[in-house]
Amino acid sequence: MALSTEELKAAMIAKATKAPKPQLYIKDFYECDPDAKPRNVKNVANDLVKEGKLMFWSSGSTTMYALPSRIKNEETRDKAEEDK
Amino acid sequence: MPKHDTPLLDELEKGPWPSFVTDLKRQAATKPECWDILGQVELSYKDRITHWKHGGIVGVFGYGGGIVGRYSDVPKQFPGVAHFHTVRVNQPSGLYYSTENLRAICNLWQKYGSGMTNMHGSTGDMVLLGTTTPNLEPLFYDLTHELKQDLGGSGSNLRTPSCCLGKSRCEWSCFDTQALCHFLTNKYQDELHRPAFPYKFKFKMSGCPNDCVAALARSDFAVIGNWKDDIRIDQAAVKGYIKGEFPSNGGAHAGRDWGKFDIQKEVIDLCPTGCMWMEGDTLKIDNKECTRCMHCINVMPRALRPGKEQGATICVGAKAPILDGAQFATMIFPFVNVDAESEYEEVVEKIEKIWDWWMEVGKNRERVGETIQRVGLPTFLKVMEVEPIPQHVREPRSNPYVFWQSEEVEGGFERDIREFRKRHAQ
Repeated sequence: MALSTEELKAAMIAKATKAPKPQLYIKDFYECDPDAKPRNVKNVANDLVKEGKLMFWSSGSTTMYALPSRIKNEETRDKAEEDK
Repeated sequence: MPKHDTPLLDELEKGPWPSFVTDLKRQAATKPECWDILGQVELSYKDRITHWKHGGIVGVFGYGGGIVGRYSDVPKQFPGVAHFHTVRVNQPSGLYYSTENLRAICNLWQKYGSGMTNMHGSTGDMVLLGTTTPNLEPLFYDLTHELKQDLGGSGSNLRTPSCCLGKSRCEWSCFDTQALCHFLTNKYQDELHRPAFPYKFKFKMSGCPNDCVAALARSDFAVIGNWKDDIRIDQAAVKGYIKGEFPSNGGAHAGRDWGKFDIQKEVIDLCPTGCMWMEGDTLKIDNKECTRCMHCINVMPRALRPGKEQGATICVGAKAPILDGAQFATMIFPFVNVDAESEYEEVVEKIEKIWDWWMEVGKNRERVGETIQRVGLPTFLKVMEVEPIPQHVREPRSNPYVFWQSEEVEGGFERDIREFRKRHAQ
């Protein structure tokens, strides 16, 4: 049976927290609930972005999701390098 | 006063053509960061490698596409382009602009960006090159509120749909390409602005098989105008062409004397399926053999026109080289109705069926054409519930095996692959 939206959100956050790499493809979240339809997983991921719990990371051709605490933007990274 | 020496780039200003180097130097008068573009590109020419990095978390709130983060990997040398993001703006259908709108776009970009543009990107967007993260939200606000325009797609989103001029200018268009493009853009706003797929997905619409937007080569889902019945022939106009009363090709190659028009040599002998012939002075076409190459119609536009029963052919799976090289789309749906009154029901049904399957089966960073290649066309046709027809077959079979499904054999059969392997394990 498919998880409720709140259960799916929690499972996705747990997955994004524990994953070895900070960025995840949308398909990586499918395993959080194998019974959920891919479109539903996509909608929940985008809801989490709206809520500020996940964020988009895009190469320009591919978009991935990440926890804000696990990823730095270039501006912050450049500044940190300058401060070293 | 140039900030960097650019001897290699300066070579590109020589010759009779317009040069982006000259444009950049002119733009540098008001946007000094353009000197750093020139400096960095010069360095790339010397090093024979790009010094741009792309990707990151930049964007505008609520959107997961439309902005591509771009950074210099030599920011200390070229601080003006240290952060130099690209903005994709959804172009109007058929690329119809007013000069007022173009000026407004340029003014907006002069205010918030480098002023450099690329009209248009490969997908069709207006591409605005070079801005910083703090400028993105104000730019987006003005773009959407004052110019009433939107960002286009990027990343794993639906990309900005694009189309040819269609019925607005072209008598051959078999459906209203701009209406369908506008409809799909509005219907799939969520897919356009937020990532939904394993990878990018592109729609393109051409009104006839001339395919002026190259949908067949450039889109995952190509809607190409087509007709079901016979090519319409005006025999009096055919005679007119033969007598030289009308220039062939609409006069498009009139700059040189090609001699008297020869219908046999210039039309009939060039038909790829050999489905045309003359009976006396009457042109005959075996329409069931016509492969819609459009050559005869292009050469004699007054005499020949597409048939009256019009719709579109849908081809799926084109892409430019990423993993396995470029490929054209494959014809999947020979004819669909493109009907505004039903809200393009037949087209929409096919799009969503493909998406549902690809979202489940497609691998990360795999275009739908690559997924089809991986699972095989017969499997894809089965999923799409399309009966195979000869036009789906590219070449005679080289595989001697025929696989039957149990429902295709009288009485059926049961097969347990695990049991089979247990018995046949080496």
